[in-house]
Amino acid sequence: MMAEAEKIKVRDRWTIRLHWFNALCWVLLVPSGLGIISGESLRLAPAWWPQFLQTLFGGNQNLILFHVVLGVVWMVGIGLFILLRWRSVVVPFLRNVMVLTPGALWRDLRTLVITMARLFGLMKNVAIPPQGRYNGAQRLLGTMIVFASLAIALSGLYLYFGPMVFHFPDNALYGAIFRWALVVHAAAVFLVLIGLVPHIYFAVVEERESLETMKSGYAEVDFIKHHNPLWYEALKREGKLR
Amino acid sequence: MSEKRYVMLADVTRCINCKACVVACRAEWATPLGHSRDWVAEVEDTDDNGMPVLDFFPGRCQHCEDAPCVSACPTGAAWKRDDGIVLVDDPLCSGCELCVPACPYDARWLNSETGKISKCTFCQPRVDEGLQPACVETCVGGALHFGDANDPDSEVSNLLAEKEWVQLTTEAVPASTNHYYYTGGKPLPKAVLPRPVQQSIQEKAISDVVNPTAKIGLGAMVATFAGAGLKKLIERRNELSGDERPAEHGREEQ
Repeated sequence: MMAEAEKIKVRDRWTIRLHWFNALCWVLLVPSGLGIISGESLRLAPAWWPQFLQTLFGGNQNLILFHVVLGVVWMVGIGLFILLRWRSVVVPFLRNVMVLTPGALWRDLRTLVITMARLFGLMKNVAIPPQGRYNGAQRLLGTMIVFASLAIALSGLYLYFGPMVFHFPDNALYGAIFRWALVVHAAAVFLVLIGLVPHIYFAVVEERESLETMKSGYAEVDFIKHHNPLWYEALKREGKLR
Repeated sequence: MSEKRYVMLADVTRCINCKACVVACRAEWATPLGHSRDWVAEVEDTDDNGMPVLDFFPGRCQHCEDAPCVSACPTGAAWKRDDGIVLVDDPLCSGCELCVPACPYDARWLNSETGKISKCTFCQPRVDEGLQPACVETCVGGALHFGDANDPDSEVSNLLAEKEWVQLTTEAVPASTNHYYYTGGKPLPKAVLPRPVQQSIQEKAISDVVNPTAKIGLGAMVATFAGAGLKKLIERRNELSGDERPAEHGREEQ
């Protein structure tokens, strides 16, 4: 029998729950959002999808309500997590994941290109620079998702509550903000969806260990040492690893 | 039984510009000051002798067959009934005005009291009760007619068969409408013809940039990673068959 690989706890229960809560919200919010947009000039989904979903919900008003309630639940869920885990999880996560300087952007883009090229057997001789807890591609995706989620939440709130709070005929700006909010909402959602394709691919196909970690909270030390050497060093410095 | 197709006929030669139709419409729909769902356009022209004449064109939503306002509405608040009437579903309308530039007849406007889009609905609640639209009922000169064009015995069907009716369409706005005009053979003046359908910058951003980019981006990503997955699968199968070879070789040796 093989000796069990050494593991370390890297994620708490609530972070894992938040991840799957977020995923479930997206699974429900994206199809319902695609079902709301009806006008041919604006909709991305084929015509039968809004027709089917709006019929299923007994009208677009009910579908919008479902989308909004779920959207608010999504915001409140993440908001509560941010409040309760601000110091222990959120700040360290943001520190690790946010790409905010041109230098970091360049380094992470380079890592992303090499990682992608290697999937197709290219750039095998180019070394990937040592990575921290999140690699370059994850950091770029994470940064994009943080900003896109903020944009989605704010634009979504305005799209539903804007016409209730502001009397649009009073000021042309109210309507203009609404129309731009629609553009931002759609663009940010599609940006995240594009980013989710590699996110899911790597979790399901390439690095199943990370999917396991997102279920159990434990990661194999050897995996960390191989994929995230800077993190491995940091864990050793912090005394979390021998 | 055939479906109903409601149409409005305006006989320009009988319009006396009394604007009773506008008054009736404003009373029926209690439109705010300065706004009406219908209007009468006055067009100056000259007759065959070069004498000035004034033509009157009663106007309103033309209830287009392929309505651009419906296409530009995000929530389906702008919609078209099977009987041809283009309506606004008020609870769904946010007053975003994406449909306003889309209407080539400038028949849609933001109601300053309700915060919703207003437009002619052929007085749909009255029509559903079997009544005529308010403007038709009150028309002093008998210029306006309304009814079901699919009913061969209706007044509008007979009128449509009797005279040469035209629609306010152009090369740029060729969509058929449910509104007809009789001008006595005179060509339609430019002033009453529709302007080209316009898209707001936000509608353009979604239809020309966001949606195509999303389609291409998602498609490219899925194709890329499906390719990567396939490559991995092939490599794994090759690896597995490679692992089997030494074992077979070993058996041979034994």
